[in-house]
Formats: sequence, C-alpha cells, structure tokens
Amino acid sequence: MSRFFPLTVTRIKRDTRDSVIVTLAPLAGAQSDFSFIQGQYLTFRRVFDGEEMRRSYSICAGVNDKTLRVGIKKTEGGWFSSWANEELKVGDRLEAMKPMGNFYSALRPDDARRYLGFAGGSGITPMISLIKTVLEAEPKSTFTLVYGNRSTHAIMFREELEDLKNVHMGRFNIVHILESEAADIELFSGRLDRDKCEQLFTKWITVADTDLAFICGPEPMMLAVADALKAHGMDEAAIKFELFASAQPGRARKKAATGDVASRAALCSATIILDGAARVVEIAKGGQSVLEAALAASIDAPFACKAGVCSTCRAKLVEGEVDMEANYALEDYEVERGYILTCQSRPTTDRIVVDYDQ
Amino acid sequence: MADENDIFDYLSKGGKFSAPGNAPPRYRAELLRMMASFVDSEMAGAAGFADRINDGPGVKERIAASRIVLEKLDHAGRVMKIMGDFGANADRYQTVHPWAARLGRDEDLGAKRRAGDMRLNVFHYPMTGWTDSVVLNVMMGSATVLQIGDFVRCSYQPLGAAYREILPRERRHAELGEEGLRNLAARGDASRREISDSVDYWWPRVAATFGAPNSERTALLKRFGLRHRSNEDLLEEWRSRMSVILSGAHKAWGAPC
Repeated sequence: MSRFFPLTVTRIKRDTRDSVIVTLAPLAGAQSDFSFIQGQYLTFRRVFDGEEMRRSYSICAGVNDKTLRVGIKKTEGGWFSSWANEELKVGDRLEAMKPMGNFYSALRPDDARRYLGFAGGSGITPMISLIKTVLEAEPKSTFTLVYGNRSTHAIMFREELEDLKNVHMGRFNIVHILESEAADIELFSGRLDRDKCEQLFTKWITVADTDLAFICGPEPMMLAVADALKAHGMDEAAIKFELFASAQPGRARKKAATGDVASRAALCSATIILDGAARVVEIAKGGQSVLEAALAASIDAPFACKAGVCSTCRAKLVEGEVDMEANYALEDYEVERGYILTCQSRPTTDRIVVDYDQ
Repeated sequence: MADENDIFDYLSKGGKFSAPGNAPPRYRAELLRMMASFVDSEMAGAAGFADRINDGPGVKERIAASRIVLEKLDHAGRVMKIMGDFGANADRYQTVHPWAARLGRDEDLGAKRRAGDMRLNVFHYPMTGWTDSVVLNVMMGSATVLQIGDFVRCSYQPLGAAYREILPRERRHAELGEEGLRNLAARGDASRREISDSVDYWWPRVAATFGAPNSERTALLKRFGLRHRSNEDLLEEWRSRMSVILSGAHKAWGAPC
C-alpha cells in the first residue's frame, strides 16, 4: 500500500556545490516504520503547483547508525531536488513511504567476502549504506569502491569515505576515477566505461577474487561495468544493479481538483462498496482512477498491477459511466455485464456506484 | 531525466534493476502479468495436487505429493511478496480466485486466459486420478523447469533471485514425478495404457503453456529483458526432454507403451 508517514528534517549538510545530505527523524514511536536494510531508498511526495511529485532517494546510512539520511543531488529541471537543495529547512516536515528496494545481499557475519562497488556520481548514495553496513556487520569482509565523478569538487561524501578508510584500515579501498582532471596515473582519469574497466581489471582489481559486485550510476556506465565483470568471469547472479534516482520515470500525477466552481462541476460523486460497506468519495472527472480515489480515501480496495493486467481490482459498475483506458484482463462478456478494472477507469458521469463485492 | 525509452534501451542491452520505483508503467504491467501468471499457476497447481494426495498408493507417494503441494504454495508466496513491493495486496490476492476449481475435462480453452485468473490454462483441466496426476506432474514439471530457467535471468533482479531459489525445488518435483512414473509403468499393461492415455491428453495442453510461436508478447518481454529464449526454442527442448523421459520410463519396464 502506498502509505506515507511524516519525517522531520533535523539536519541539512551541504555536501558539494549541488548536493545536500538531509537527516530525518520519524515521529516519536514511529521509528520502527523506518528501520531499513542497507541499500534501500525512501520515496517522498510533495505537491508542487497542485501536482503531486514523488521522488526516491537512497538512504545513506549504515543499518546500525541509528540515523536516517538521504543525499539529494540537484538535477537539471528537477523540482524536488532543487527545492531540497535551495529551500528545505531544519524543522520542515516531509512525507515518505517506508524504506523499499532490493539493492543488497543478505549479511553473513562469519564470512570473509570480497565486495566490489561501482558508483557514478550520485550513485554513491546507496553504496554508502552498503559499505558502512557490510564493513561493520561482516568483520572479515573487504570492500573496494570504484567511484567515477566529473571532478574532485563533484565527489559526494568525499570526507566521509576518507574517514571510513581510516576506520576500516585495509578493509576498505577507494579508486577515484575523475573525468576532467588529469591524474598522475592515467588509469584514474577519464570515464568509467568498458575500456576503463578492462584496465582496472587487468591492473588493479582481480575480478576472480570477488564474491559480489554492486553497481549504481547512469545506465551506460552500469552496462559497461556489468559487461566487463561478466567478461572477466563473474556470475551474473553475483552482480546487483540499482538505477540511480534521477533516472526514474516521472511520477507527476494528474492535477488534484481544487475547490472552485468550474472544478466542482467536473466532480463525480462515487459510491464505493467494499466488504458490505458503502463510502462516498469525490473524484475529478478525467482525473484520478476509481481505484486511486478509493485508496486515497483509505478504502482498502484490492489491486496488484495497476496496469489493467491482473484483474485484482475488478469491480462491478452498478450505476453511471466510466472511461476504461486499458483492459488486458476482462473478457468481453464481463465488460458487457458491467465489470470494470478500477485502476483503469475514470468517471465520466456525475455519479457512479462501484461494487467490489460482486 | 532519463525517459522510458532510455530505460527500455538499457534493459534491451542486458541492464537490470532492483527497485520497484524504477519500473516504467509498461514494464511494470508485463512484470506483474508474469508474476501473476506464475503465482496463479502455483496456487492452482498446488490446489489441484492437494486433492490427489489421498489417491497416492502408499505413504511414500503421499509424502512426495504433499511436499510438492507445500513447496508450490511456498513458491507462490515468495513471488506474491515481490508483487507486494509493487503495491499488490497479497492478503486479498490469495483469495481472489477459486484455486481448486477446474473445468470439464473435454473443454477446449485454447490459449485464451479466463476471466482474469492468470493461471496457465493447463491448470484449469481436472486430473482424473493418481496416474493422471503423476503424468501431469512429469510433463508440466519439466515445462516449468524450462520456463523458470529462462526467468532466472530476468531484468527485475529480486524476481530473478527468487526464481533461482525456486528452480532446484521445481526440478526435484519433476524428478519425484519421474520416479512415480517409473513405478507406475512397472505395474503392468493396464497401468501403462493409463499412462499412455494421460500422456496423449496432457501433451497438447502442456505444449500450449509455452505460448504461440513468433509471439509479439514474448518479443516485447525479450526487449524488456524479462525473457531471453523464444517460445519455440523452449518448446523444442521440452519435446526432446519428454521423449527421453518417457522412453526412459518405457525402457524401465521393457516394453513399448
């Protein structure tokens, strides 16, 4: 369920010219809602000009750090990231879903494993969580991070990574690859592409000794690294991928209805029957789907794919009319009998009655 | 910001991801469809075999059948958990279809799915008794192993990882079936005729689970990195595996079926 919980901003630290690290605290008693696994992310929502935006940011903390932080790098035209970098203040309230994501492998405290991490730009954010957690929870394991950036100034978590190197002497190594700075050694300048990986894997890193690899960054970098790892004999199952946050498709929702006269005329009064109980919710015509409106009203309506495929959200339209965008699940005879996929249906009449129990 | 096409391009080149939030809607739909089909098939398969446990000739066979039922439900649960990451309400989902319900033995469903229940159509047909259920388990077991073998490489990594754990257990289910089939075949002519009738009945129905040749959907799934092998390729391998398994069972009792 897409439920959001409040978080209070307790600290904002400027990390680079265009990124901030935001520390967040759940409300008293809600800490357990935000316990997380290393490498997971938080999805925030915020309304900008009447449109709800959702953005996900990786948690940059070890699981035992007893803190919740996210690193937010400003992206061009990114409303949420610009707002977080320029306007967000300590004491502000944010709303986020519980931590999600699968960019991790189960910890094995007794094992001595060799980890390889590849981060490009803000792809470092989940890596921080992995590095901190693994080095603490698996005392015999080692972690090598290959971290690509444009320049030294763009390196997020630079000081913190140096500190980690000192704390875990000999168990944590970093290879910085800088695009626009000539390094003394040619190996460490340029882009983190297939050729660079080849050089690294022949001169610096032995892939055959590696147990697990984690990659997070822009898509071409991830493909290049994964291809190179596979070419050097790494099993595909041992390579974990995370597309970094800014590559996520937009999450802008249709505009929520406002209270003026024109929009009131465009509202549909929807009676939703579930488990024998009827509730009335207002839906903007051509706006939210029946399912979205039901969920927004905290009605526990059934759904799975939200894409018109699985039919879990099927209900009977008892009164009124809807426009059903996609239907990959209902047979013609079902549609004739009035069944709809509520995730795909938007009301077109002033009143509808939808029954999930039939 | 990268748009959907960038992500599809990334996926078509072998890229993978691990966060539900990264899935574009079209991808999400196909992924959910794949998962729903697997979950529904495991639920329906388990429900069908559960009814056959008491037909088992002895304790050993009943334990094997019980184990298959138990593990198939566990597999459904594992994939349903991943569906939950995409917002599925698992509690509701598991009761949404009557999993044990079957249609008439002679109805022809073709390849068309029925009313949102996403189980493979082979699981809509009833089994007639112990021998019939063993034959279906052998044939569909082998098909499942091939199909899951393809899913293991799927671009949504958590699902690939789940299938990697599921695969050896599904393989064991198929082996238990083959063991049962050899025992049944050794019982004599009447039993062998029963096996032969069941093989004839299930053969086209199991073959249909591989999907149509040159399927547009499979082409799309390949572009999304959700599938890697073609339906024809998988079907061909299943055919040759079946001929080895069935002729192996024939040899065990020494006479053609």
